[in-house]
Amino acid sequence: MVTAMTKLVKVIIDDREYDFPAGMNLVDAAKQVDVTIPVFCYHPKMKPVGMCRMCLVEVGNIQKDRATGEVLLDDSGNPQIRWMPKLQTACTMNVSDGLVLRSTSKAVDEARRNVVEFLLTSHPLDCPICDKGGECPLQNQTMEYGPGESRMNFEDKKHLDKHVPLGDLIFLDEERCIQCGRCVRFQAEVAGDDVLAFHERGRDLQIITVSDPGFDTYFSGNTTDICPVGALTTTDFRFGARPWEMNSVPTLCNHCPVGCNTSASTRLDRDFGGKTMIKRIMARQNEQVNEIWMCDKGRFGHHFTRSEDRLLQPMVRAAGGSLSRETWADAVAAAAKLLGDANGSVAVIAGPSATNEDLFTLKQLAAGVGSTRLGAWPPTHAGADLVAKVGVGKGTNLSNLGKGDAVLVIATDLEEEAPIWRLRVKTAHDRGAYVVVANARKTRMDDFADAVTMYQTGHAATAFADLRKQHPEVAERLINANNLVVFAGAEGLTLDGSRALMQACANFLIETNHVGRANNGLVGVFPGANAMGQHYLGFSPEATRDIIANPPKVLILAQADVVADDPAAAAWLSKVETVISLSLFDDEATRQAKVVLPVQSFAERDGSYTNGERRVQRFYTAQGPIGEAIPAWQAVARIAEKLGQGKARLSAAQVMNDIVAAIPAFAGCKYSDLAKVEAQFPQVGGDDLYYGGTSYKNTGGLGVQIASAADNGEAVALGDVKADAVKGDLIVVPTVRLYNRERVFQASEAQLMAARVAAPYVEINAEDAARLAIHDGDMVQVSAGAAQPVKVRAHVNGAAPKGTVLLPRNLQQTATALTIAAGTVTKV
Amino acid sequence: MKTMNIIYREKDIPNIREYDVYVANGGYDALKKALGQKPTEVIDTVKASNLRGRGGAGFPTGVKWSFIPQSEPIKYVVVNCDESETGTFKDRQIIENNPHQLIEGALIAAYAIQATAVYIYLRGEFWDQAFDLDARIEEARKGGMVGKNIAGSGYNCEVYTHVGAGAYICGEESALLESLEGKLGQPRVRPPFPANKGGGLYGEPTVINNVETLANVPWIITNGPDAFKKIGTEQSAGTKIFCVSGNVEKPANYEVPMGTTIRELLFDLAGGISGGRQIKALLPSGGSGPIIRINGNDDPILDTPCTYEDIAAKTGSILGSASFIVIDETVDITWVASKVTKFFKHESCGKCTPCREGTYWLDKTLDRIMRGEAKESDVDLIANVARNMQGVTLCALGDFAANPIIHTIKNFPEDFKSHIGAAKTPAAPKTAAAAGD
Repeated sequence: MVTAMTKLVKVIIDDREYDFPAGMNLVDAAKQVDVTIPVFCYHPKMKPVGMCRMCLVEVGNIQKDRATGEVLLDDSGNPQIRWMPKLQTACTMNVSDGLVLRSTSKAVDEARRNVVEFLLTSHPLDCPICDKGGECPLQNQTMEYGPGESRMNFEDKKHLDKHVPLGDLIFLDEERCIQCGRCVRFQAEVAGDDVLAFHERGRDLQIITVSDPGFDTYFSGNTTDICPVGALTTTDFRFGARPWEMNSVPTLCNHCPVGCNTSASTRLDRDFGGKTMIKRIMARQNEQVNEIWMCDKGRFGHHFTRSEDRLLQPMVRAAGGSLSRETWADAVAAAAKLLGDANGSVAVIAGPSATNEDLFTLKQLAAGVGSTRLGAWPPTHAGADLVAKVGVGKGTNLSNLGKGDAVLVIATDLEEEAPIWRLRVKTAHDRGAYVVVANARKTRMDDFADAVTMYQTGHAATAFADLRKQHPEVAERLINANNLVVFAGAEGLTLDGSRALMQACANFLIETNHVGRANNGLVGVFPGANAMGQHYLGFSPEATRDIIANPPKVLILAQADVVADDPAAAAWLSKVETVISLSLFDDEATRQAKVVLPVQSFAERDGSYTNGERRVQRFYTAQGPIGEAIPAWQAVARIAEKLGQGKARLSAAQVMNDIVAAIPAFAGCKYSDLAKVEAQFPQVGGDDLYYGGTSYKNTGGLGVQIASAADNGEAVALGDVKADAVKGDLIVVPTVRLYNRERVFQASEAQLMAARVAAPYVEINAEDAARLAIHDGDMVQVSAGAAQPVKVRAHVNGAAPKGTVLLPRNLQQTATALTIAAGTVTKV
Repeated sequence: MKTMNIIYREKDIPNIREYDVYVANGGYDALKKALGQKPTEVIDTVKASNLRGRGGAGFPTGVKWSFIPQSEPIKYVVVNCDESETGTFKDRQIIENNPHQLIEGALIAAYAIQATAVYIYLRGEFWDQAFDLDARIEEARKGGMVGKNIAGSGYNCEVYTHVGAGAYICGEESALLESLEGKLGQPRVRPPFPANKGGGLYGEPTVINNVETLANVPWIITNGPDAFKKIGTEQSAGTKIFCVSGNVEKPANYEVPMGTTIRELLFDLAGGISGGRQIKALLPSGGSGPIIRINGNDDPILDTPCTYEDIAAKTGSILGSASFIVIDETVDITWVASKVTKFFKHESCGKCTPCREGTYWLDKTLDRIMRGEAKESDVDLIANVARNMQGVTLCALGDFAANPIIHTIKNFPEDFKSHIGAAKTPAAPKTAAAAGD
């Protein structure tokens, strides 16, 4: 990062003088001024290793008089340059004052040609059937720098295994591998999951996986993006399509609050009725959000959009009878009538993938029929309002956190709930940021922390006070940090407990002056892609709680699969007279609905989400339509129009214009603003494949971050922290697993990912297990709160603290406790 | 011509491997003397002695020690006992027969740079020797020479042994450090160099010295730098152990003053060429250095003094670790090139492209040459491939692997020509077993 403090040094590259910040390596420096130094092993996101030798250049130094410091001149008055006797690898050398670099010369050109020739000696000539063909750095650099003919005797070529599954998701073609080690280093340096390694030596050197199961990480797909050859391909996409026959569509991942920018590669496809189909999803560069990375859930979790279980037509229930297919006009009329007749007893519960446009339209519809009851689903995480006040400052970029800065991760299993944030906090830690993890149990994030503190289950809100008392040295580091970002979740907390924690976080940040500045403030680790959008558009979990307690006559469920998530839902839903369901799938709530409106997934429509860092980002239509499904906002707008609330908008962009006009937070968020891009470093894609990899260049927009109240200079007051903890001998804490049995991963949707979903289990402390005569691997019955007891396997592995059992949500078909509750575990 | 045993003292003093015998013959006196001096004085003494690294590079030892930043609290001495260069077997004899002299020398080095620990890295095959060395370290500990408060001086230093997994490249110092840290043995990018923070063992400043180098140190401390400089030549002070193997009557290690001629070594000490035959070639630094063409036993090149400077200037090769592989008139040099190339192909770590791919390519092509299936252009091809490997690799192995090809083709073109169009396997040399076939 270039700061005012960074010293600038003068470097001459190909006879032109430039200033660079000291410490930058020569490949990056040259790239900054559009001079290409080809590389295979070097990647700008990782430390240089100098392995491939492709970046050899001529390097010299301007000679100075040692006594006077004057530049020595030759006979013709030019500075004397002492050239190093050998070519140097540009990636392992940093800029320094007076350094002279020649990126091309006879010697450099020869060395490059030789390196390419060496790499090609045993490389197969299978470009015509290689997935990388067309976007392959080796192919491109062979054309650019390589010899036209092979001098290697064909019979002497080394033959190796071409189909080695490193795990469920990634295949290795050993013949194509050029041993650059980018994948090995990505896993160790960036992801922190050290699961790949080199094996053997010399020409036998190969990539292997050293984990069981193989390639056990949530980030494996990224290795295929940075692999400079076709050695690593995804099980999902390999042999699926050719790069040049696909279009790339900027889209967004909607599985978690990170809001990774992604690109859908699409083509007209036989397997999708000749319609435009998403063949693969790859990361799209947004250095402030996901850099050039994404997790495997986002990459491979797109099959659900083409599920056979998708709802295809609107349906209306005949009086006391079954659902029957109707036209949109009739279904809209039915919904409008139900709402119009409700006398204002109307409420909306919107799920985590509803877009800003959907939410705004729902809010308007509700207002039109006299209701302001807008619930956010799931009602587990409070405090989005506090994030709006003291959330991370405008311009925050986790990549800027380093020495002198600090990160606190509290009440969340960040790896499972927001993998890319986990990855980015890990790399911040590597740059010197002081990382503290506070939880009631061990989590993966602990591996990348400078300090790990434990609090008693449910008592997250008092963690700050405890920290100051019990670990003052840790508290001091947070208090005195130049920049402090707090990631707060709600694991093991009730909704009130969650609010208490968020208030405690806000108070701590305000007291320590870590608000209203870039790289400082609060981030809520909320469920889904749009919890902040829900907040700004008036939806809250507290309202959901009220809706559950005081059922309305008509409830609109907008992409909220309440029965699958909440074991109590069947009971409270039965008290609602009428359900209008806007859904992708024929889910349980839909089966109880009077009107069912099929809506489109993110793939088939455009829209926008507001991510956890309050960045409003737009996505574009990638895939062909399914059945008669339409965007949720459109369905809602048609109902509103029928109710006489005004004409339905024609496009999501128009809806956003309305939002901008109505909601001050969205000022500056028109689609044209969200679509703005600027140059980012490192360069990726296109001509820069060799450098940053196949991640997509961002052409769809970097989004706009909403200013927090603190950013706007508004006074932010401290609030009372009302702690609330559940009491009981044994407390059941619902936890989140990234891979679970949500729609994204159901077997019919993605066989590929289904294999990665854990079998249902509960984690129990060894002491509790001994008391209950339960052994690791026993089948046990867990009951908690209102939930039906579930039979799962007990894991006694040290993960659960005493008195607490951890029950992952969504690992089985029946819902388990949505929030923390006292419970029992018995052996069966 | 006589040997001179500064290192191989077991030849003069039986059982000097045992602690009591070593101490009875002045052992550990040098360490005690050094402990009474300032660390910088010790470094200055070794600098003044002109002792040069015996591992092959010949870098001045005292200068190497002086690179260590004194301000760093943690520093290490690593003893390179990987002994992996082809034809080298001198260090094994030291650790087997005079181990305390190594331990003492290493501890003096440790004191000079104020190291906290010494690690002796042994090649994977030195399993038994490592156990024996452990026992010797314990003897020295009992004698108060290892561990806490060495010889009552207040200086603390531990000595550990570590056995590698059997790889040539782990004799290269940065790959050695990787292996010592439990990682795959591959060379590191430099800078940072081992002497610098971030470049040494576990990132701490580290001195890495060869066994023979350190075994010289006690003698230098005891007898002073001037006495050491009186042995050998100005640029190559002291004795040197020559590992003589191949077609000689008495292959063995010979410790002689630097400056002894090749002829004296091979004919006076090693008993002359096997079976009274004529010498054809010499590899003075194992397989990795350029081969010297010698036109029979009367060739004046045999009168070259064995010093760093003379071998370089008069033969175009290098002294290296002084592993003299002698090749007589019955040996086909193409076969030598093929054997050495097989070794480097097997030992290339695979980290960098030219070495990984080049050694494989050379080996495959030489196989075809040896089978008589090659064209004349294939000889030009391997010469070109070898040249393309030179000077562009991450460590010296790429250069080492290129040397045998380039210099055998240059010095013995007729041997390569004899294989072209001769579709039969030439008879293996009579002494193939000695050459490791």
